[in-house]
Amino acid sequence: MSRVLLLSVAAFVASLFPRAAAAAVAVPVPIVESAGATTIVRQPDAAASLAGFAFVVRAGLDRQTLKQSGLAALVAETIVRTPVALPFDSAQGRLAQGDTTMLPLEDAIAAHGGSIRFTVDPGDVRFYVEALAADAPAVLDLFRAAIAAPDFSPATVRDARAELVRQIAVNQQEALQVGLDMLNAASSAQANAGLPELGTPASLAQFFSEDARSFYRAYYRRGGSIISAAGRLDALAPGALDMLASALPEGTTVPVAVHVPVLNGMTHEIVAHRDISSPWLIAQYPAPKVDSNDFGPMLVLAAFVRRTLSDIAQVPGVVSPTFASRSVGAVYAYDRAPARLVLYVNGGLNGNPSRAFATALSVVNVLAATRLQGSIEEFKAEAAGDFANDATTLETRAWLAAVFARESASPDFINRALAAIAATTPDDVQRVARTYLGNPTIALVLPRGTNLQD
Amino acid sequence: MIARAVAGAAMLSVALLCLCASPVKAAMAEQTGALPRGGTYVLDPDPTVGSAAIGLWFRAPGAGYDNATPGIANLAATAAAVAPLASGRSLFALVHSAGGDLNIEVYPDIVGIGAIVPASAARRVVAAMTAAYFAPAVDEAAVKTARANAAVLGVQQRYEPDTTLHDLLFKQIFTSGPAHYPPLPTAVSALTSISAAQVSAFAKRAFRSENAVLTLTGNVDASSITAVTDGSGQGSMDAPFDSTLTQPAQSATASGEVDGVGLAWVGPPISDEKAATALDFVADYLFRDQTGVVSKGLDLAQSDALVFGQFITLHDPGVMVVTIGGSHEKGTEKRVLEALSALQQPMDAQTFNAAREAFLYHVAADTQTPQQRADNLGWYSVEGNLDYAPGGGNGSYEQAARALDPQYVASVVRRYLSNPVVVDLIANIPQKE
Repeated sequence: MSRVLLLSVAAFVASLFPRAAAAAVAVPVPIVESAGATTIVRQPDAAASLAGFAFVVRAGLDRQTLKQSGLAALVAETIVRTPVALPFDSAQGRLAQGDTTMLPLEDAIAAHGGSIRFTVDPGDVRFYVEALAADAPAVLDLFRAAIAAPDFSPATVRDARAELVRQIAVNQQEALQVGLDMLNAASSAQANAGLPELGTPASLAQFFSEDARSFYRAYYRRGGSIISAAGRLDALAPGALDMLASALPEGTTVPVAVHVPVLNGMTHEIVAHRDISSPWLIAQYPAPKVDSNDFGPMLVLAAFVRRTLSDIAQVPGVVSPTFASRSVGAVYAYDRAPARLVLYVNGGLNGNPSRAFATALSVVNVLAATRLQGSIEEFKAEAAGDFANDATTLETRAWLAAVFARESASPDFINRALAAIAATTPDDVQRVARTYLGNPTIALVLPRGTNLQD
Repeated sequence: MIARAVAGAAMLSVALLCLCASPVKAAMAEQTGALPRGGTYVLDPDPTVGSAAIGLWFRAPGAGYDNATPGIANLAATAAAVAPLASGRSLFALVHSAGGDLNIEVYPDIVGIGAIVPASAARRVVAAMTAAYFAPAVDEAAVKTARANAAVLGVQQRYEPDTTLHDLLFKQIFTSGPAHYPPLPTAVSALTSISAAQVSAFAKRAFRSENAVLTLTGNVDASSITAVTDGSGQGSMDAPFDSTLTQPAQSATASGEVDGVGLAWVGPPISDEKAATALDFVADYLFRDQTGVVSKGLDLAQSDALVFGQFITLHDPGVMVVTIGGSHEKGTEKRVLEALSALQQPMDAQTFNAAREAFLYHVAADTQTPQQRADNLGWYSVEGNLDYAPGGGNGSYEQAARALDPQYVASVVRRYLSNPVVVDLIANIPQKE
C-alpha cells in the first residue's frame, strides 16, 4: 500500500479538525403544483436578473429502439432549429420595424436575449430555456410555439442532423465523454438507454423527416413531464407555465423494451482509442438515488474519494489548484438514471496516471473493508460545500428541483441534501462503501497508436 | 469581456471566464457601508441559494511599491492565506474545512481574495479572512509555502498561451508601472530573491483595512459585517496604481513553451462608461465562445484555433486583448483583424439589435452566481467605479448597454481598435509542421 494511501485512510479515520457546529441556513423550498399530467416546480428568486426553465419530457434514449440511436436527439435538435417568427418589441424598439424574419428557434431566442439547449438522458429529453426577465414571456412563447409544432421539413431535419454530427465529432475528442458513453452502454439495464446521447453519424444518416415526426408524435406527451422554473418568475403572466405544459398533447408513454443478454466476462475493462493526446482512466460504480437512505452517505463518500484523488495527484506543499490536482476527480451523478459514481484520471496532466488510479481504487476497497473510527466532519463539510456551491446557477437549481420532485417526495434539494449529509455517520459511510463500491467497471480511453502496455 | 484581466493569479478562478454584469435586476440592490475598523463593504444578498461568496479586494501594485519586485503581491497574498491565525489554523485550512474554496487573484494593480462556502460558514470565514489580511502574520514558513506555490504556478503558466501572451502584451503597451511586469514571474529566481521581511512589509502596507473592499453575496446578510474585528481604522484607500503607456508601443516576437499570437489595443478608462461598454459589446459579439462571430466561424471551419477576446476594464486605461492559440494562428489573426475592420462601419440595425440583446443576456448569465457577483463588485470597486459594476443595483451598466447604437460602436472601433500591438509567441520546440 502506498504512503499516500495510508495517509488518506489515516486522514479519514482520524479526527482531523473538530469544528464548532455551524448554524444551518434554510433556503426557501421550491413550490410544486400539478397542471394536469405535468408537474410544475417554481423557485422564485428576486435577486436574479434572469428566468430559467427546464422542460423535461419523457422522450429520452429509452424511447428509441436499438436501430434508432440518435433519433431522440435529432427530434430535440429539430425543435431547437424550427423556424419561428422573430418578435418585435415596439415598446423597447429592440428589433427593426417591419421585421418579419423567420429564424431558427435558437437564433430567435438569442436575438431576444436568451438561450436554449437540450440534453438527452436515459429516460428524458431536457430542454433548458433562459432569458432576461423582461424577455422571458416572449422567449417562452417562442419555445412553446416550436415544441408544439416542430418543423420536420427535410431542410430543418438536415440542418439538425448536420449540427449533431458536428457535435459528435467534438465529443469524440473529449476522452471523458467517450469513456462515460462506454460505461453507460455497459451498465444500462435497458440496452437502448445506454445508447450514445446524440447517436452516431452513421445512425443519424438513416433518419428521414418522417422518422423524426413519428418519434415526436409518439413520445412528446404531457404525461410525466416536468416544468421547473427558477429566477425572476414574477416577470411571467399567471398561467404562463401551464400554457407551456399544454403545448404537448395529453397522454403518457412507456419505454421501448430492449433486452440484451448480460455479458458475463471475467474482466470489467473497456478500451477505446481516439484522437486524443493522452490516456484517460475512468471507473464507474453504481450509486443510490436521491430518495435512498444512502444518498447522504454517498455524498460524503464521494467527497472523501474526491479529496483522496486530489491529494494523490497534487504537488506536495502547493495550496493552489494545479494541472495535477485538476487531472483527477470523482462525480456522483445522482441526477442520472441509474445513478453512478465515477472516478477519473487524465493522464495528460498527471505524471503517473496508473499509480494515481490504482491508489484510488485501493482506497475505495479499503474503505469498504475497514471499520471507520473517528470523525468524518471534515468530509461532511466538504460534501455540503460541494453540493451547495454547485447549485447556484438557475439551470442547476431548476434541474435539481426537477430531479428531486420526480425521484422523491419533495423538490427541496438543498435543505434535504444538507440534512442528509449532516445525519451521516461513519457506519453509514462504510455501509455505503461496502454496498456500492465493490466491483467497478473501468474504461480506458487511449490515444490512437498506443496500447494497454504503454 | 468586462473586467477581469487574464493575469497570473495564485489561484486560477473559473470566474476568469465570466466577467460581466447583469441588468434588469429586481429591487434587491446591493448595500454599501463602512467596516467597523476601516475599509468598506458591498453586500448583495440572495437568500434563495445555499452558499455565500466572500471577497476581499485591495489596491496593490503587483511588482511592489517601487516596481522592483515582480511577484511580491502574489507571495504576500498567498502567505497571508496560509499563515496560522490566532486559532492555530490558516484561512486556507479554515475555508477548506468548512467545505469551501479559496481563490487568490493577483493582477498588476489589485489583489482579490475570494471564498465560496456553505452559507452556514459565512460568518466564520468573514472573521478569518479579515483577520488574515487586516493583521497579516506573515512569517518565513508562510513565505516558503507561497514561494513553492508560485513556482509551480509559474511553470504551469508557461504552457498557458493566453496568460503568457497577456503578460507580454502588457509589457509592450506599458513602459513602466505595475502593468509592465507579470504578476506571477515564471523564473523561480525572481521569487526566491524576495525575502520574507519584504513580503511581510508589503502585506502590512497593502492589506490595510482602509485599503480594502469586502464583498458579500449569496445567502448572507448584514450581520456578518460584525464578524470583522481587525483593522486599523485610520486612513483611506490608496490611489489607483496606473501604469505609463509606451509611445508608440511596438510589436514583438517572444519565445516560450507554446505557440500563439496576441493582439492588444489601448482603450478608454473605466470612467468612460459608454466607450468601455461599447468595447465589451464588440468583444462579446466577435469572440464569445460558441456565439461570437469569429468563434462561430472557426467552429464551422472545423479549425482547432482558439480565440479569446475581452476588453479589460481598468482604472486608466482599459485594454482590449485578443489571444490566439491552436494552429494556423496567422490565418486566425487575419480573420480577427478583418472582423474588426468590418465593425468600423455601422452594423445594420437588425443585426445590431439582436447582438445587443444577446450581449445583455450574456452579461446577466455570466454574473448569476454568488461568486461571480462578489468578484464583479470587488473588481469594479477597486478599479474605481462600483456604480458601473455590471449587475449593480442602479442598472448603470445596463443603461449604458441599451444606449449603444451602431454608429457609436463603429466610432469606438475606429477610435480604439485600429492598430494593434502584436506579440508572436514562438515555441522553443516546434509544436507542429
